[in-house]
Amino acid sequence: MQRRPFLGLFVTPAGVTALVLAAALFAVLQYSVRAQIPGSLEVGGFTLENFAAMLRPLYGRVFLTTLMLCVATAAISLVAGYPLAYALVHAKRRSVKSLILVTVVTPLFLGEVVRTYSWIVVLGNNGFINSALLKLHLIAAPLELLFTVTGVTIALVHVTLPVVVIMLAAALAHIDPNYRKAAMSLGAGPARAFLTVTLPLSAPGIIAGFTTAFAWTFSAFATPQLIGGGKVNMISNLVYQLGFANFNFPFAASLSVAALALTLLALWVLRRATRPFEQLGQH
Amino acid sequence: MAAEADIAVRLDGVTKHFGDTVALKDAWLKVQRGELLTLLGPSGCGKTTLLNLVAGFLSADAGELFIEGALVTDVPTAERDIGMIFQSYALFPHMSVAANIAYGLKTRHIARDEIARRVREAIALMKLGGLEARKPRQLSGGQQQRVALARALVIRPKVLLMDEPFSALDKNLRQSMQVEVKEIQRRLGVTTIFVTHDQSEALSLSDRIAVMSDGRILQIGTPQEVYRAPADRFVASFIGEVTVLRGKLAQIEGDTAVVALGASRVSVAAAPLSGVSISSAVDLFVRPEQLRIVGDRGAITATVTAHIYQGGHVDLYADSSGAIGRVLVRVPGEAALHAPVGAAVGIAPAPSGAVAFPAGD
Amino acid sequence: MRRRPATLHRLAGRALVVLLLGFLILPAAVVAIAAFNERALLAFPPQGFSLRWFTKAFDYRDFQIGWHNGAIVMLAASSLAVVVGTGFAFVLDRYRFVGRGLIETLLLAPLVVPHFTVGLGFLLLAAQVGLMRGFTVVIACHVVLVLPFVLRSVYISLRNLDRRLELAAESLGARPARVLFTVTLPLLVPGIVSGFLFAAILSFNEFTASLFVTAQRTQTLPVAMYNYVREYADPTMAAMSLIFILATTVLLTLANAVFGLGKVLNVDDGR
Repeated sequence: MQRRPFLGLFVTPAGVTALVLAAALFAVLQYSVRAQIPGSLEVGGFTLENFAAMLRPLYGRVFLTTLMLCVATAAISLVAGYPLAYALVHAKRRSVKSLILVTVVTPLFLGEVVRTYSWIVVLGNNGFINSALLKLHLIAAPLELLFTVTGVTIALVHVTLPVVVIMLAAALAHIDPNYRKAAMSLGAGPARAFLTVTLPLSAPGIIAGFTTAFAWTFSAFATPQLIGGGKVNMISNLVYQLGFANFNFPFAASLSVAALALTLLALWVLRRATRPFEQLGQH
Repeated sequence: MAAEADIAVRLDGVTKHFGDTVALKDAWLKVQRGELLTLLGPSGCGKTTLLNLVAGFLSADAGELFIEGALVTDVPTAERDIGMIFQSYALFPHMSVAANIAYGLKTRHIARDEIARRVREAIALMKLGGLEARKPRQLSGGQQQRVALARALVIRPKVLLMDEPFSALDKNLRQSMQVEVKEIQRRLGVTTIFVTHDQSEALSLSDRIAVMSDGRILQIGTPQEVYRAPADRFVASFIGEVTVLRGKLAQIEGDTAVVALGASRVSVAAAPLSGVSISSAVDLFVRPEQLRIVGDRGAITATVTAHIYQGGHVDLYADSSGAIGRVLVRVPGEAALHAPVGAAVGIAPAPSGAVAFPAGD
Repeated sequence: MRRRPATLHRLAGRALVVLLLGFLILPAAVVAIAAFNERALLAFPPQGFSLRWFTKAFDYRDFQIGWHNGAIVMLAASSLAVVVGTGFAFVLDRYRFVGRGLIETLLLAPLVVPHFTVGLGFLLLAAQVGLMRGFTVVIACHVVLVLPFVLRSVYISLRNLDRRLELAAESLGARPARVLFTVTLPLLVPGIVSGFLFAAILSFNEFTASLFVTAQRTQTLPVAMYNYVREYADPTMAAMSLIFILATTVLLTLANAVFGLGKVLNVDDGR
């Protein structure tokens, strides 16, 4: 029998933590099937009312907005992130690499509130974009960017872009440079070499990036809350509102359960759809 | 002198720096059409740099590069019409064998059915039948090697560049691949520049060898020339096994000189010894097969330390006191019986065949 | 020395990268400038120059409490996460055991489960077990949220560890505990430290789940800032943001110089 020193010692804390998380998630599940007693924090008996209530078009629209924003943000981040990742990996000078890396990584660590707030200053009617465009006489009246899907999307892309760049860069960095050289030696110009060799081999990175951006956007709260201002609502905002404004925790819980189910479903679909492309990048 | 039209690749004074290091110093080289020229030398000698310059992966800091008479110094790789075999093969992992081979034909915009025909030919030539749909990771090392060759040759390149292609293969496979590549190269008549650090590989494959060290080309010649008449000490030591014996220059007559080593007299070419006065020390570079076990009046006295049986002959190692150290003598099996391990023997050089250079440290 | 002529497409590529980097920096730059505005308006460009918002930011009681609470939670959560994560990464790398897959899935779940769900869950769980909304709940929640990153960081370090070093120690007579403390852990220090740093920064800046689990007196800084923005529209937040941005940039530049962020994030090509 193989000796396994420290097994118990090292597994127990992890097991306890996992158990606590499971309990927390289970609490959500439990509340989702209990009735709300209006005006009180107590909950009533078992019911599926909450899930039924979710089928109203009001909530359907929120689910749809959420999905749309997730897909749009992930897609735009991917397209914008690829050139950055490529530049990061192929930069010749250490100083350039460091500059790109720090610039890309810093927004990640600023925290949602600071980031979102900064975007308010940029997007607002008196903000950077409008002031600049008005001064240059390119527009007559300020553009409505706050409280719109466009504004929220821009801010969300800003959040996920760093993570996508890092995942793409990781994938690109591990592609053997000899493949590109081989393609060139066989007569492929830079564009062709990129499209037929580099891009397919970076497929795993692209998939990982898209999936992560999708999952992260789903979790976004401060951005749609502050920039959406109540007009653009994601599931996260709804859950908060129901919980803290209406004290309807059971319904908030059921929304969370539905949201989680939706995320898992979306991720599963993504996984199946991208499996053939995953094979491409194996090397 | 070869006619200009027969020169496939020409380097005129090509130099390449990497920061402060000079990787290639003022290289002049002419590769003849259809020949297999090997760039041979230890790591860091500049052979891979030279190959990459011909390929176009590096650009020269000085000098000109010609491929089939056309100036290509500033021409990008994709337009040079070369074929390259990488050490790791660099087969596109996401494409099948057939797609890999077809790649270079696609970039040349050749008609689809012509591509199919040529790919079929290449697969037949390299004995890859049945493997068309496989991915590279499903192939053995030898098969991958052949796909790499097929991919590079199917485009009928002006020059084939091979960067230590056999270093990843085991001994038997390496030898059979060497033979196969030599045959194909000869049959297709494709000009080939081959890079290796393995001198026995160079000797067996090449039409000519360029021995390099420290960024310079020291000697270009046929394997025989390089083995029998090395241009300097480095080449003499690098190619084949060699024992260095110190003797005295006894006489010079025309282009032959005689070196005295104890009781032995060895005739050598006089050219490398120009300027050396009679009776001064010279170094004799002797090959193992040019040494004999003699009675006890040999030039060297040594104690036999090991017999390494090689099938056709025995490599006999003996330790002698003094500067010479360990000596390798190649003897037929029966002779080895008379010089068992531990015995004191006399070793003498054959009267001719060795090379001498002015005494070094 | 000769050079290849710069091609148009190379210049266009560079311009694109500069543009994208500009997009990333834009909010930070704008906010930085707005923080110095004299007027009590959130406008751009600023009118007049003043440092009073910085003073306000430092003096504001709620922000000070927020810093304090945030620091407590951050240190506690990161330390716990490192202890739990390092141990589990170790057994994950080397052993098979009952429940391995389940625990791993659960611990990595926060990467997929939205933070608002985790926050809601902890809030409800606390209510169920009768725990007040104190630091315990907040710290527990943060541990769970940052653990995946610690786990990943240490796990990568473990995978890159040359096991033969441990075998050598064993062959020289070292028992498992000694091997662990004298060989394994010292070699894991880069992974552990970078995991800790990641966890600390993420915990300090964590907002969504914190919004659910913190109460008035356990409010972390992001929550305090959020509440401020909801009520006031002056540049105090801009000043706070600038402080944040500067601190983070300095920390990251340092981290990059010392550890090489590229290696930690796995984007180095190892050349």
